[in-house]
Amino acid sequence: MKRDDRAFRVALVADQYVNPPRGGVDAIAAAAQTGWGVIQLPADDYPAAVARRLLFEVAEQAEEFARHGYDLVLVGRRNGLAGALGRVGIGVPDRIIPESFVGLVEFLSSRPSPERAVPFDSLPGGSA
Amino acid sequence: MGVAFVAHCVLNQNSKVGDGAICAGVYSPIIDVLREKGWRIEQMPCPELAFAGLNRFWAVREQYDTAAYRRHCARLATAVADVIALRVERGEDVVLIGVEGSPSMGVTITSSDPQRGGRPEWPDGTPEHVSGEGIFVEELRRELSNRGIGFPRVVGQTSAIPGHDEAAQRAAIESALSGIDR
Repeated sequence: MKRDDRAFRVALVADQYVNPPRGGVDAIAAAAQTGWGVIQLPADDYPAAVARRLLFEVAEQAEEFARHGYDLVLVGRRNGLAGALGRVGIGVPDRIIPESFVGLVEFLSSRPSPERAVPFDSLPGGSA
Repeated sequence: MGVAFVAHCVLNQNSKVGDGAICAGVYSPIIDVLREKGWRIEQMPCPELAFAGLNRFWAVREQYDTAAYRRHCARLATAVADVIALRVERGEDVVLIGVEGSPSMGVTITSSDPQRGGRPEWPDGTPEHVSGEGIFVEELRRELSNRGIGFPRVVGQTSAIPGHDEAAQRAAIESALSGIDR
């Protein structure tokens, strides 16, 4: 069997931390340093219809991680995210509005180690 | 400014098929180049994650090439094309960074084996890599064409390809960003 190095940790990250302005907090660097994956949220200046479609896809992907027991957190904020997550039955995860790179690293590092992904047949309705 | 539309798993290896994650989360060799060159990052959705789930098997194009999966990819491609269109309208340069060897996200190399199916056993080293695009990339090409938008320059993460060379991968990305064929 091949080795799989995934962390079972996924951060939903507002665009301003994925593409930070000069001097801003770089959440990708923080995620790389602490062993988290990133799901990018749509930029704040996107038209509502564009953002809505992107948030729909973000929610579907977050749902799959959530139902397998992956740890999810939110970095920053994004209008419409709570509604998109709510439509797939998951709440807004624990959140940080990072004021510094160090603070974000500390937040991500402080999360308890997640359980490994749950067996498929223990998922709701899953037995195939 | 340039905008790189990157495959989901470049930022999130948790989305990979089982035994496919080569690091904890962020695949830094590609991100490092984009940061150094000052490119904006736009992460595309993973077509396989929401459709086939985290417990999916490794698969080739023929196994994913169903009407339902193409509809799913077309929906995702619409969302991505919306953003590409916005960026093009703003006069920004766009590059697509896929995953070579992927049945969905391959940009010049995908995986193909018309015989594969049934019990998931096959010998290591099966020559499944062939020239071509993955199914999502094809659907994105179709969506952009329908809108009259040219297809971006492409380059792929090559870590799943035998003989992967990180320096060569970096050079290919730099070349794609610069718009100069190597």
